[in-house]
Amino acid sequence: MVGKRKRETAVVSRSTKTKEASPEPANDAQDIFRKYFEAQFEPIETDVPSKRDAEEPESGDDDNIEDDDEISEPDSDWDGLSGESDEENVVEVVEHKDASLGANDLMDKKARKAFMSAKPPSSADEKKKTTKSTKKDNSDDDTNDALNLKHDLDLQRLLRESHLLDSASELAPTGKNRLKALDLRMQDLGAKESLYKQKNMPDAFRQGIKAKAISRDEKRRREAKENGIILEKPSKITKSDNKRRERGIGGSSIGKFSGGTLNLSKQDLHSMQSSRGRSSRGGRGGRGGRGGRGGKAKRGRF
Amino acid sequence: MATTSQAPLRFTSHHNLVYRLVLSTLTGRTVHISQIRSSSPTNPGLAPHEISFLRLLEAVTNGSQMEISYTGTILVYKPGLITGSASGVGASGGVIRHELPSNCSRGLSYFLIPLCLLAPFSKAPLKVLFSGPGVITSSTPTGDMSVDSVRTAILPLYNQFGMFNNVELRILKRSNPGPNGRGGGGEVQFTFGHQIRLPKTLHLMNPGRIKRVRGVAYSIGVSGSNNARMIESCRGILNPLSPDTYIFSDVSSAPLVPTPDKNNPNAKKKIGLGFGLSLVAESSTGCLFSADVASPPSGGEAPEDIGKKCAFQLLETISKGGCVPPAAATTMLTLMTMGSEDVGRLQVGREVIADPNMIQLARDLSKFGAPGWGIRDAAGENEDGDVIISVVGRGIGNVGRKVA
Repeated sequence: MVGKRKRETAVVSRSTKTKEASPEPANDAQDIFRKYFEAQFEPIETDVPSKRDAEEPESGDDDNIEDDDEISEPDSDWDGLSGESDEENVVEVVEHKDASLGANDLMDKKARKAFMSAKPPSSADEKKKTTKSTKKDNSDDDTNDALNLKHDLDLQRLLRESHLLDSASELAPTGKNRLKALDLRMQDLGAKESLYKQKNMPDAFRQGIKAKAISRDEKRRREAKENGIILEKPSKITKSDNKRRERGIGGSSIGKFSGGTLNLSKQDLHSMQSSRGRSSRGGRGGRGGRGGRGGKAKRGRF
Repeated sequence: MATTSQAPLRFTSHHNLVYRLVLSTLTGRTVHISQIRSSSPTNPGLAPHEISFLRLLEAVTNGSQMEISYTGTILVYKPGLITGSASGVGASGGVIRHELPSNCSRGLSYFLIPLCLLAPFSKAPLKVLFSGPGVITSSTPTGDMSVDSVRTAILPLYNQFGMFNNVELRILKRSNPGPNGRGGGGEVQFTFGHQIRLPKTLHLMNPGRIKRVRGVAYSIGVSGSNNARMIESCRGILNPLSPDTYIFSDVSSAPLVPTPDKNNPNAKKKIGLGFGLSLVAESSTGCLFSADVASPPSGGEAPEDIGKKCAFQLLETISKGGCVPPAAATTMLTLMTMGSEDVGRLQVGREVIADPNMIQLARDLSKFGAPGWGIRDAAGENEDGDVIISVVGRGIGNVGRKVA
């Protein structure tokens, strides 16, 4: 909401010269008329108060009018007044114009969406909106960013797959290396295991591979120890976890069903009891609240 | 919570009827209200909007009983549990549909603001769809604020009490008051999905300074240029005072309500044409002041005048000082009373607390057993003579939550 108030104020002051020019002929004409009138009738009374009203509209008391009657006769008095007003009355015209509403229309849409939604508006919305708008402003950098990102990705890949490139000196791997690189990328993206991992093989082979891996690791550790190098701790080999196997649909969730009877082991019984105990303990926590609490708690314990 | 056999609290007259019913529901006390317009020879008893509010109460609660005397001048209300729109009670598909009759002359905020007070303490989220031939979304000559102001000036207050999730007020159809100020064809969906055990204790003692003014200009069934004219004249006044003034314009067609007659049973007629303006000023500390003016149902007022009036009304509301305008004070103080047993403080202008409605609210609250308010002059540089009201919460909160 920055830059909301853009206002153009143009101050135009009218030149006083045009002002001076206009009243004089009027005075002359009035003088002529008055002289003519006064020659025929009594001196004018009604004319003067109206002039005075134009001069200073506040004083409209009867006493003043009577005073004015005495003054009204000489002509020179009137001329003096007009001269004074011309000097001081510099009419200043101030044009007050709001900046065009069209300029704000772009901001309008976003602000409108934030304000006119069904949610009650909050100041948090406003902040979010401003951050978004700043992001938009950097749109010219976007293309640059995209290019940088692409280079970055290339570099990362190169680093990760460089060991494949020993033999072939080109950057884009071909043939077998390409396939291996692809496999690595797949794993990077979340594939569970390599495409080239052999699934089925004779047990002797598998044992041999495992034994070899273990012996290799042992050798590495032994050599490191002899050389005084501290290695990472050996990762614990997790035993086949004791998870429950998937059972058929509709089976009982506890115990073992065989021969038409559900057999519960001691463990099962223990788990059942322990779970119940926990639930009863952690029922309604917290403090405060007066009514009906004691009774409730008692009932829960029984 | 109809547990005890306490004698019903006795009230008279129709003044503040809605808030008495709300307080009764929140505290679980039975009320007996008598002499409801008993002196009126033509329209004695409960008015259509009051009956409609009773129906709404019945829909959002479970087990409340109300007895209305033959003339409608006596009402006995025995409150039930506030269940919200739990399915099976009053709601279908999780939404309570509430129809307002065509002779309703009050704006929708008459129903919404009290409903908002009940909603935090309901058992399930509250969803109410207001429809029917009596829904007036604009402000009315009877003194109700527009639905826009409820959304932009009343609902954000609940944020300060820790309720902000899933609170929505969706205006599906707008409507000004119809001919003679009765009826309209609006449609509004209200959702309050943040139920709590107890509202937070509030200490609001710094009014801050106005940092921005927002508003909605709406014209319904009339030219959208009315909006532009209102906005123009309103900004002419407000912009020099607050540069961050922005008023959004919403133009919609007039709603149609069915008016079946002998020749054409499917006849519909346009209703609720007009325009109006809702303004909200937000201070640097998050206090909200609102103003609302709409074209009178009889017409004959220029949009420029409406815009000017609304701007001046906003300025007047702000000039009263304090952290809450009169329109929101009832909501704030009721929620503070329902809060935890702690002292909350609220700074209000002297004129706000001198308002007859506020004094009536204080009397009613004390009758319902709430401890009295402590009132002292605000500390610091206090040119306006603001006062600080200290309210001790009753710790009633959400009865439905307590059981669950």
